[in-house]
Amino acid sequence: MPKIVYVQPDGTETALDVDAGTTVMRAALAAGVQGIVAECGGNAMCATCHVYTDPSDSDRLPAVGDDEDEMLDCTAGAREDGSRLSCQLPITEAMEGLAVRVPREQV
Amino acid sequence: MAQVIDDFARTIQLDELWSDPYPIYRTLRENQPVAWVPAANRYLLTRHSDIAYLEKHPEIFSAAETHSLMIRVMGLTMLRQDGADHLRERKAAEPALRPRMVKQRWTPAFQRIADELIDGFRDRGEADLFTEFAAPMAAKCLAAVLGLADVPAQDLQTWSQAMMDGTGNYADDPVVWQRAESAARGVERAVDAAIERLSAHPDDSVISAMLHAEDPLTPRQIRDNIKLFIGGGLNEPRDATTVGTYALLTHPEQRARVEADPSRFKDVFEETVRWVAPIGMYPRQTTMETELGGTVLPAGAKLGIVLASANRDESVFDNPDTFDIDRTGRVHLAFGGGPHFCLGTWTARAQVGAVALPTLFRRLPGLRLSGAEPVRWGGWVFRGLLNLPARWDV
Repeated sequence: MPKIVYVQPDGTETALDVDAGTTVMRAALAAGVQGIVAECGGNAMCATCHVYTDPSDSDRLPAVGDDEDEMLDCTAGAREDGSRLSCQLPITEAMEGLAVRVPREQV
Repeated sequence: MAQVIDDFARTIQLDELWSDPYPIYRTLRENQPVAWVPAANRYLLTRHSDIAYLEKHPEIFSAAETHSLMIRVMGLTMLRQDGADHLRERKAAEPALRPRMVKQRWTPAFQRIADELIDGFRDRGEADLFTEFAAPMAAKCLAAVLGLADVPAQDLQTWSQAMMDGTGNYADDPVVWQRAESAARGVERAVDAAIERLSAHPDDSVISAMLHAEDPLTPRQIRDNIKLFIGGGLNEPRDATTVGTYALLTHPEQRARVEADPSRFKDVFEETVRWVAPIGMYPRQTTMETELGGTVLPAGAKLGIVLASANRDESVFDNPDTFDIDRTGRVHLAFGGGPHFCLGTWTARAQVGAVALPTLFRRLPGLRLSGAEPVRWGGWVFRGLLNLPARWDV
């Protein structure tokens, strides 16, 4: 059960022990983490589950797919190097301790 | 007290909802957020939080409604399926409707359509912008996106209305059935012609995407889903166009700021569909007994999900009845949510927010309500303006 840390814009942290197989987005919704809206329920169609990862974590995350890349151009908060859609991040053991920052603007 | 509230839900009449549903929704939100409303033959869900919960639990709240009039009119479309079956049909259509395609391929086409329509009436200095602009614009844009560009806009409008009337034909009026069936046959003929053309010559349209998907849809699935897109893809952009225009015409201070900074038309669009959600209510059905908003719903309960009410929920939106483009944190539910999140979201944002509204205000200087006749509102399942008589300087 990897631990995922969600960091709010004001620095508040929520650490969740998450089952492998779910996604960073679904785990956040299930725990009621603020700022992850996820209108489309994980179809990479709405751009409202945007998070910032540390670029140094990119090795242990799946590559950004075409649909995700397209949606990352539609986010409310500015796209950065580590920008990801949390619905496209399935949890794996390799993600133990991953920190994701929730953007100030999601919608 | 409970008795009094129960009595309120029982007294609701459909014609009252049609005229102005918002005061009724406010009473329901305050007192009975999940209420059995006999006139609608459904439980109406009116609070934002309950609807947001429902949209995250499609396993409890199914789109596959039994005895669906939509299925009778259109056949089995993606909108009345759940799970993998729904996803397969949706994914096939999606490439034509993703944001990059909308921006690169459809937005320039939408701009040409808007300009041609305005060219046709601009010198006259007045028009009903519902019949002369918003409705034909929505029909022509939809035709282009679907792959039916050679179908006259008037045919699409007629088919759309006839099928919509059929899906709401709870009175079982045989004339309404006849018109709906005739519209469905018209769509089928047009789709079959498009399939023949696009099979050999693929393009960027929805029908072509469905035909050439990795897991292609059958001709019957394409026909039925295109009926859905015509029945459900025309009135929403039309109504967002007229309501958004009306809102700016009646809020001069906000209009001045938007005209000074046209990038804000994006906010106008989002606030318009929050303020008056074009799809006011959609159906769901419970798969098991469940409790929501203090009400126990039996398995198989028919529900009406009142997006129009969620978007005016005072626990989420300050002064919810006020049109205000400065709202931050857009959590309106006008596009629904979950697996059935509106597939036309990006198309609608482009068509209305990036093209129709800015083009009207840019090309019709001094645009104002004509005052010759009052604007009229109507509807609750679908709601919008019924006319928009306007004048401008020539």
